[in-house]
Amino acid sequence: MKKEKKNEEYEFCAVCKLNHNQGRRHNYFPNHVKSRSAFLTRFQSKLADVRFFLKNPSLLRPEHASRNRLWCVFCGSDIDGLGSTFACGNAIAHLVSADHLKNLKDFLWKYGGGMDHVDSFRLSEVDLARWEKKCKLLKTDGASDRSRGVVIGPVNDIQLNSENIDTFIQSLNSSFSNGVVEPLQIYTNERYQVSHEIFRVQELGPLRQDADSYLHVGTQLDNNACSSNYFTGKILLWVEFLKAYTLSGYSEVPSLQVRVAASTLCSSDQPPGLWLHRLLMLSSNLVQVHRDERTANSECSSQGLQNLTQISSIVCGDAIGNVHSGAPPPWLDSSEGKQLDFKRSPFNKSRKCSKLNPKRVGAAWAERRKVELEMEKRGALAKNFDANWLPNFGRVWQSGSRKESMKEFEVETKKSSKVETQCEMPMQLQPYVSKKMVSFTFTFTALYALVVLSYALTFTALYALVIL
Amino acid sequence: TLSFKFHQQPDCAKRQRRRGRERMSYVLRTLRKKREVDSIIRDTIDTVLVLRFGRALDPICLQLDDILSKSEREVSKFATVALVDIDSEDVQVYVKYFDITLIPSTVFFFNAHHMKMDSGSADHTKWVGTFLRKQDFIDVLEAIYRGAMKGKLIVSCPLPPQRIPKYQLLYKDV
Repeated sequence: MKKEKKNEEYEFCAVCKLNHNQGRRHNYFPNHVKSRSAFLTRFQSKLADVRFFLKNPSLLRPEHASRNRLWCVFCGSDIDGLGSTFACGNAIAHLVSADHLKNLKDFLWKYGGGMDHVDSFRLSEVDLARWEKKCKLLKTDGASDRSRGVVIGPVNDIQLNSENIDTFIQSLNSSFSNGVVEPLQIYTNERYQVSHEIFRVQELGPLRQDADSYLHVGTQLDNNACSSNYFTGKILLWVEFLKAYTLSGYSEVPSLQVRVAASTLCSSDQPPGLWLHRLLMLSSNLVQVHRDERTANSECSSQGLQNLTQISSIVCGDAIGNVHSGAPPPWLDSSEGKQLDFKRSPFNKSRKCSKLNPKRVGAAWAERRKVELEMEKRGALAKNFDANWLPNFGRVWQSGSRKESMKEFEVETKKSSKVETQCEMPMQLQPYVSKKMVSFTFTFTALYALVVLSYALTFTALYALVIL
Repeated sequence: TLSFKFHQQPDCAKRQRRRGRERMSYVLRTLRKKREVDSIIRDTIDTVLVLRFGRALDPICLQLDDILSKSEREVSKFATVALVDIDSEDVQVYVKYFDITLIPSTVFFFNAHHMKMDSGSADHTKWVGTFLRKQDFIDVLEAIYRGAMKGKLIVSCPLPPQRIPKYQLLYKDV
């Protein structure tokens, strides 16, 4: 005995974003499973950002608070960065909360996520405690001491590099000593982008020697009794260099120093914009120094304020031509034959598909007529149709086929035309002779003629006898 | 003579009367000879041919002509529209053949075959009277085209009875 199908109420599946009346079965449908995994993956990526800040707490500047929003899909609520001193502070607090856990469990139960994934979408109290400790340390340490300490560590292992570093340092010093205050030439989000990128960069590999050398430069400067501003500037520059490094395709990035740099960046009180600008200009020199180490075609130019990858087209260049020189596009040249063939075959198919129904009304007539028209076009086959041609018409009070009705009509027309012609002939007056009379007279005359003939014969016979 | 079906004359009719005859001729073809009618029936291939039999100045005819001229372009891909003047002598053969007693009468052809439509009235061979809306005409035309493409010589009318103009058909002048 089969179960009777329940007529379930419609409910909304937030994962698939559709209304269904499948009830609990819906959670096992493949489409739902797909949507669910995509949904959860998306949220996980957002949580990954939050987790980063959990491990590396950094001070949240008020201007960046608006970017610190998170929409918690389980609770259906926005978590913004108001009132939190550290980046993603509110989000972290939310993720630890009991309410969130409850909502998470409800969601997973409702949409069938598997209850073992609960921990991946929330943060434990242990994590929270660790994070809070780090935050405290961050607050108390201020900017430089801690960071400097860390920097000096690996310095002992570093080798000094070539003259270009020295020249670079000199140029840097000169620019710094000018002390010209320049207006902010980049938007503040540039800095955010920079710092943000650095955070991502952190995930990548081991140290690289050249980078170390520059770090050493930094420390040297420090030893030359520069102010903390200089140091910040150095860090920024170095940050820029790192970015250039990553953009050029190197996957090796110093991790420890980046973290340091990041923390100092965030904690500095200077408007970084102007420093950044200057350092961008200067770091471009750095980049060019290492050009030969990079691949031929791509290079990173941090000239100006945009971080676009410049592709040098010297190799490909002028021989072939481009849009401006009016050259044909590459796809036409190579695959012209292919293109046309591709065009033709579906076109043929569509032609065939639009062939008219052979069973349609008057199909045979239409085909014949088409042929006739073509012949007329070509050879002037002036086959004019009969003036009395009539179309196939079914009359109103029709009984029988349409041909019969046509015949009827023709008969009727003939009759009407006959009647007309008869009326036109002149009337001749004649005496009325009845048929009987005609017949009678005919017989009478015939008899009379016979009698006369018989008399004539007897008389001639008698005469002949008398004479002889 | 046909009596008025509507209380007010449509505005287009008034304008057209002022301007004189053959208002619609610049949009729709008017045929006056049997030969012309024959050629248009024979030359319209794989599209519905709409032949309106009537007089250009008759008010109901005018309204129908207005609807026909407005929708002629829209249906041009599957239909052709032409007007036949019943006052010309040459065409009287057709007037008799098609049993036209009331005007305007519209006869539909497809590939020189006559298409009938059952609209609930006595006469299925033609459409007598005008259409209430342009869309009604297009619906009727579409029904005929669909039926013809399937091979049906008679189709049923898609309009509800209240939208079909009513008239009395006399049987052999009785």
